[in-house]
Amino acid sequence: MEPASPITRRSLLQGSAAAAGAVLTGVYPSRAAAEANSAPGNKPLVIDCHAHLHQQSLPDYQERDHLLIEAADKLGIDKLCCSILTRSRPASVEGFQECNAWLVEAIKRFPDRILGWCYVNPEHSKEALEEIRRYVEQHGFIGVKLYNERVCIDPVVFPVVELAIELRVPILHHAGHSHRPYPNQPNISDGGDLTELGRRYPEARLICAHIGGGGDWEWSIKAMRHGANVLLDTSGSVIDSPMLELAVETLGVDRILFGCDMSMTAGVGKMRALDISPADKQKVLGGNMLQLLAMRSRT
Amino acid sequence: MTIDVNAYLGHFAFRQLRHNTPDALLRLMDSKGIDRAMVSSAAAITYRNTQSGNEELFAAIRPHRDRLIPMAVINPFYAGWRDDLQICCERFGMRGLRIYPKWHNYALTDTCCAELIVAATERKLPISIPLRVEDYRQRSWLVDVPDIPVAELVELIPKHPAARFILLNGAGYSGSPLGTQAAKLPANYWIEISRLSAVMANEFGQLLSQLGPGRLVFGTGMPFHYPDPALLKVQVLDASEEVKEQIRSRNALALLGEQARDQK
Repeated sequence: MEPASPITRRSLLQGSAAAAGAVLTGVYPSRAAAEANSAPGNKPLVIDCHAHLHQQSLPDYQERDHLLIEAADKLGIDKLCCSILTRSRPASVEGFQECNAWLVEAIKRFPDRILGWCYVNPEHSKEALEEIRRYVEQHGFIGVKLYNERVCIDPVVFPVVELAIELRVPILHHAGHSHRPYPNQPNISDGGDLTELGRRYPEARLICAHIGGGGDWEWSIKAMRHGANVLLDTSGSVIDSPMLELAVETLGVDRILFGCDMSMTAGVGKMRALDISPADKQKVLGGNMLQLLAMRSRT
Repeated sequence: MTIDVNAYLGHFAFRQLRHNTPDALLRLMDSKGIDRAMVSSAAAITYRNTQSGNEELFAAIRPHRDRLIPMAVINPFYAGWRDDLQICCERFGMRGLRIYPKWHNYALTDTCCAELIVAATERKLPISIPLRVEDYRQRSWLVDVPDIPVAELVELIPKHPAARFILLNGAGYSGSPLGTQAAKLPANYWIEISRLSAVMANEFGQLLSQLGPGRLVFGTGMPFHYPDPALLKVQVLDASEEVKEQIRSRNALALLGEQARDQK
């Protein structure tokens, strides 16, 4: 058996034949972000905004994590924004503390490849706020990961949002909208909830997770139209056309972030399909995420 | 050559499709390097009388028969299906079937389904079975159509050893009897790749290893789906170019009873 032919990021991520050769030439959104995050040779970065590493209680977690990095290498992804979630939810304090500690260790195993989301359960407000501050300020985590313990417009979530604003970091929020109840997820948030949260906190930067894994994507995109500070992550296993075109047309390209959420060929394949200008494609692939990362370095 | 065994034309009841006319689909295929596609009526999924969808498809693709290969949607639970099958086969020149047991309200174990499979097999028509049309999380409030469980296919396939089944829009075969030769199921089913993982868990690679290259076929689900993920899966597959060519086109050609021009 022959190995797969060498694959370049350019060939994987080009949107169309016409865009070949130009798709990865973009403009960095800010000098600070460029200096902090550019790849060697000043090459624009491809950043998967939504990924997960594995719980270190799993006997094969190192192998699983390695497979993710290997997939990223194969598919031309430079950096992965990762969290580690507890096995079951609602997460206990000990549970999310353990996950975040594991993530620090994992980041050391894969230098320059992993950016960390600090996962907390906002029900445990005091510990959650301490955890976020500690991991952002001391360990360089890029933001907060919230899951489905509480709907995002529940007041118990507000202190987390206020701290994210203070620390100038985004929040990646699990989301989905189905016309039938989500089994086992009574408190899942949707694009409408995140838009309402964004309206209450215009300084916040919120990311609605996995449009390709969050149910009725047309509903979600339409619900987010007026949420200027709410971004959309393209991840998930659903590869429906024209999901991404609708997102770009409705929300604008500046609000779209490339992600896979572990559905790697689906995530990258969707990016190849998205037929927008090379400059806009680079915003989605990494430029918009760099803008979010740059918030933290601004004085 | 690349042949897509999983493509559609027309309207779908629950959302708008782009690239769903013959001209638009062909333009999409050209832009992605897909030479031919097996197409069926998307509307027939929800039409009570599926034959109307077959008629629409026949009329639409008449100028493009060299590239668009028509597949008939037949509901054996509906009056006149034997007449419909005959017309689709003899008058419309359709080359295979697509069946939707969950959408059309019958079970794969029902007598009517067995009769359709026998009738199609006598006509040497491959029978494609989409395990799903849409992801279950986005289904409409009006209908609640489940995916076809792999276990139901495991029960069906050995009952019809002479039939040829193409399993579309599926995943999770690995670990089931469909994913291993050890289960000794007849080699009368082909797995379409659009929903298989191709890195990490790599179900694509596992099935290739377990079943061999003769049992996997290229498909995209376009225009419901973007074709690019399926193309990417083949691209990143650790396999020889010859194996990839078999998956991209030769297995489909054999199912259609055609020979690859360059086949040895």
